Amino acid sequence: MKTPAEARRLRIGALTAAVGGLFLLAATRLLILVLVDGPRLVAMAHNEHRGQIALAAVRGSIVDRNGLPLALSSGTESVYARSRLLLAATTAAQRRQIAATLSIDADELEVRLHRSPFVWLARHLRPEQVAGLKLDGIRGLGTVAENQRFYPEGSLAAAVVGKAGVDGQGLSGIELEYDRWVRGAPLLLEFYHDALGHPILNSPVELRSAEPGARLELTIDTAIQSAAEEYLTAELEESGARRASAVVLDPFSGEVLAMADVNADKTDDADRLHNAAVQDAFEPGSTIKGLLGAIALDDHVITPSRQLFCENGAWFFDGRTIHDDSPHGWLNLGDIIEVSSNIGAAKIALALGAPRFYAGLAGFGLGRRTGIDLPGESPGLMRPAASWRPLDLANHGFGQGIAVTPIQLAVAYGAIANGGALIRPYVVKAAYDADDHRLFENHPQVVGRAVTLQTAHLMNHLLRNVVDAPDGTGRLAQVADFTVAGKTGTAQMVNPTTGTYYQNRLVASFVGFVPADDPRLVILVVLYDVQHGHFGGLFAAPVFSKIAANALEHLDVTPEHPRYATAGILPFAPADDGPADGSDPPTVTATDSSSGAAAPRPQGPQRVPSFVGLSLRSAMALARTYHLNLAARGTGYVTAQEPPPGMMTDAPVRVILSTRTGDTDAPDRFDERLAASR
Amino acid sequence: MSRFDRRLVYHFDWTIFSLALGLAAVGVVSVLSVTWGNTRHALDPLVVRQLTWIAVGVVLMITVGLFDYRSLSAWAYVFYALTVILLGIVAVAGHSTGGSQRWINLGVFKLEPSEIAKLAVVLVMVHYLREEPPRGGWNLRHILIPGVLLAVPAVLVLKQPDLGTALILVLITATLIYAGGINWRAGAVLLLAAMLAAPAAWHYLKPYQRERLVSFLNPESDPLGSGYHIIQSEIAIGSGGAWGKGLFKGTQARLNFLPEQTTDFIFAVFTEEFGFAGSMLLLSLYVALIVRGTWIARHARDRFGALLALGVTGIVFWQVAINIGMATGMLPVVGITLPLVSYGGSSLIAMMTAMGVLISINTRRHLF
Repeated sequence: MKTPAEARRLRIGALTAAVGGLFLLAATRLLILVLVDGPRLVAMAHNEHRGQIALAAVRGSIVDRNGLPLALSSGTESVYARSRLLLAATTAAQRRQIAATLSIDADELEVRLHRSPFVWLARHLRPEQVAGLKLDGIRGLGTVAENQRFYPEGSLAAAVVGKAGVDGQGLSGIELEYDRWVRGAPLLLEFYHDALGHPILNSPVELRSAEPGARLELTIDTAIQSAAEEYLTAELEESGARRASAVVLDPFSGEVLAMADVNADKTDDADRLHNAAVQDAFEPGSTIKGLLGAIALDDHVITPSRQLFCENGAWFFDGRTIHDDSPHGWLNLGDIIEVSSNIGAAKIALALGAPRFYAGLAGFGLGRRTGIDLPGESPGLMRPAASWRPLDLANHGFGQGIAVTPIQLAVAYGAIANGGALIRPYVVKAAYDADDHRLFENHPQVVGRAVTLQTAHLMNHLLRNVVDAPDGTGRLAQVADFTVAGKTGTAQMVNPTTGTYYQNRLVASFVGFVPADDPRLVILVVLYDVQHGHFGGLFAAPVFSKIAANALEHLDVTPEHPRYATAGILPFAPADDGPADGSDPPTVTATDSSSGAAAPRPQGPQRVPSFVGLSLRSAMALARTYHLNLAARGTGYVTAQEPPPGMMTDAPVRVILSTRTGDTDAPDRFDERLAASR
Repeated sequence: MSRFDRRLVYHFDWTIFSLALGLAAVGVVSVLSVTWGNTRHALDPLVVRQLTWIAVGVVLMITVGLFDYRSLSAWAYVFYALTVILLGIVAVAGHSTGGSQRWINLGVFKLEPSEIAKLAVVLVMVHYLREEPPRGGWNLRHILIPGVLLAVPAVLVLKQPDLGTALILVLITATLIYAGGINWRAGAVLLLAAMLAAPAAWHYLKPYQRERLVSFLNPESDPLGSGYHIIQSEIAIGSGGAWGKGLFKGTQARLNFLPEQTTDFIFAVFTEEFGFAGSMLLLSLYVALIVRGTWIARHARDRFGALLALGVTGIVFWQVAINIGMATGMLPVVGITLPLVSYGGSSLIAMMTAMGVLISINTRRHLF
């Protein structure tokens, strides 16, 4: 029998054992919280008390092809204080001195330092100002770079360069398209905040340091760009047009040398936010005839010598009368393009038929985006061929009912200029980081073949007549000392609300390339909303001429019709551009011209350009600019080369020239096709 | 006690003394961490006050430890009556914080009589139950008086409202009655009655108390409302990991996500910074203290001493169990402090005094 005390001790012992059990329970629960729920609870803790802020890096500059800055970021600096640190590290007298340096009120500073843990002392100072303040080394003071974008050349190339917002984000143009390069990597700070959301200001941890944005080098040449804008602006006043665009393109590389967009009712913001040259489509009018002719030749639906009856100026077709500006009888393709006969063009389009014409235009890049590196590009407007009625087909032949963007039309004519290749245009050459390492480079890119080499050359010649021939519509596009090939265009503007044509509001354009023998530049000039007059040639062609003359001189292009005899200094006899005469093709070896003003030849292998489609003379000129030697065989145009384009070599490039030009007077099937289309 | 007995020094219970100081140190570190950097002073006023109370508490602990606990028996009813009066004053003219009227404002010090009530109830119960029960244990009628003695302060505390302390009073009384030797039938009846009374008690709870009682089962259902305390406590504990975030690096407590950081949820503060390892250390201190307390209870020379030791230990045990159960999400949130650790003068001084009682009982074991 237990004594009462023993029984009591037993009961107390039982309680102690229970304590042990509860201890194990608590330990288990704690283990579960840490091990099982741990990761989830850690994440919850992080979500609760951590925040991130990103401070934009210095935005990269945008420069033209010669390094002239078009967009810069001025690094302003702002000075702040972390109150507690500053108060601990400085005496009142020292703070008084800091206030004096920053020209702020010392008493007010003292009050603010005691009231808030973080105080802005001065904002948006120039860096040299801050450097002059000698604030380094004072604990509790800091500076933060704040980015401000400005455009040193004002509105020059504004539509291309675009605009960056107040927070350093691209909004339009290159600023938008290349935002991820130009923007750089922001400074990423992680900070803690308390339960009420107040940030703990001495907590920031730098998660990632800022990386300044890349410097973009454009293909734009400021000299050509500013001339283009100037001439366009002048023409706006002269012609009464409301807006005008111009595109200057290198037809071989696709580099855009200038892309101008001027507006009579100009607002600065609209200039930066909208780029008509890639975003707006217009009806090309007669400029499409050059493309139509090339497509028809390529398709062997017509030969250059084929005569078409142009109905003496008025042709009743499918319920509508098609007019020419002046009456014509029998014309061949060259004449039709030269005098810009709508009736002739309509008949060619009908002979081609909708599917072939459509496919041909698509081959020239119409109806889809060129892929230019600018945002918001319009694909233009080309309805599916299946929906074209005969009248539509006829109208499309002279550029009605189809809409193109300026860049599309320039690229399409670029294909004629470069021997038939459809190239992708681009405005950014390369991007460089802060240490001048190249981050990327845009290369010329052939998207497809529009027409054969022979067709392109034939059309090249036919388009010269537009400018050169006595009754050509583009005579005002002539450039002294150079041969110009091109085409005028005039179209009625479409009323966007009714979908019908304005009677007296026109789009006048001229597109062409120069020098015709060795095209360096494709230039398109479009004047929108011309209120009086009628001929595209009258307004747009002179602007073409001025831009071309200026650009050719700026680029130091050797005149084709030299005022001085240059035979003595040329190392080879000028080759005939025309068809071969049937004699034995001579083998010509060209060497680098050391007599010219060319820069000293760089050492080592050079990149090989594409010579295909060029005349021998053009090929020689191209070889010179690339500091390459050329070994040519044959006459006529280059049909093959070794090594292929894009390779590096320091050996002579062998090119094979073809005697074929494609212009044979073999019987075509024009009548048969035209009849079939009716 | 006319002459100081040197044996009091030889047999002084340093175990209890050091465990109490160790726990107090944990409390100081936790309060220091919560307040660190809040002001430009090296020590926050909160820490200074905590240290002051610990100092007062230690003096009281030693003093009480040197006195003969048996003399307490004579003062049991006086002490009890004084406590009831203080609780009465609280009910009439108490100082309120956060919706509870729990304090008497003495100017320099806000007295929280419910902390004293725990000791008073233990003392009065032990005094009443000091005689051995009849063979077979007490019947229900034997414990009628203890029931009344419990009910008066418990109801006053409940009215404040302070559900947690009222619960502690009930639990200590139950512990003492069990240890004192209750008839097993009477015990079963009481247990059954308690279970039947639960639904009725529910009826009298305030809505927020009911919400807390339910929400601990699924705190995520109202993470910013009734579930907030438990979720934040679990986050602090769980995110501390095995070894903790380090001193002054507990984000949840220091950035004020954790509520009641220095009082009810101080366990989470310490665990966040010192991890599972730290919580085990803290728990071990408590287990050591409780085991030592029950050891003293088992080895006490007289029944009064045994029950008194058990009652005092019971206060520590029940508060720790409920507080940690609450902080780890196993029990609903009722406001109960972590004894000797939580910030709060009344609680600290009362608990330190209680430790003095334990010391006294153990020391006297050798003297008679």
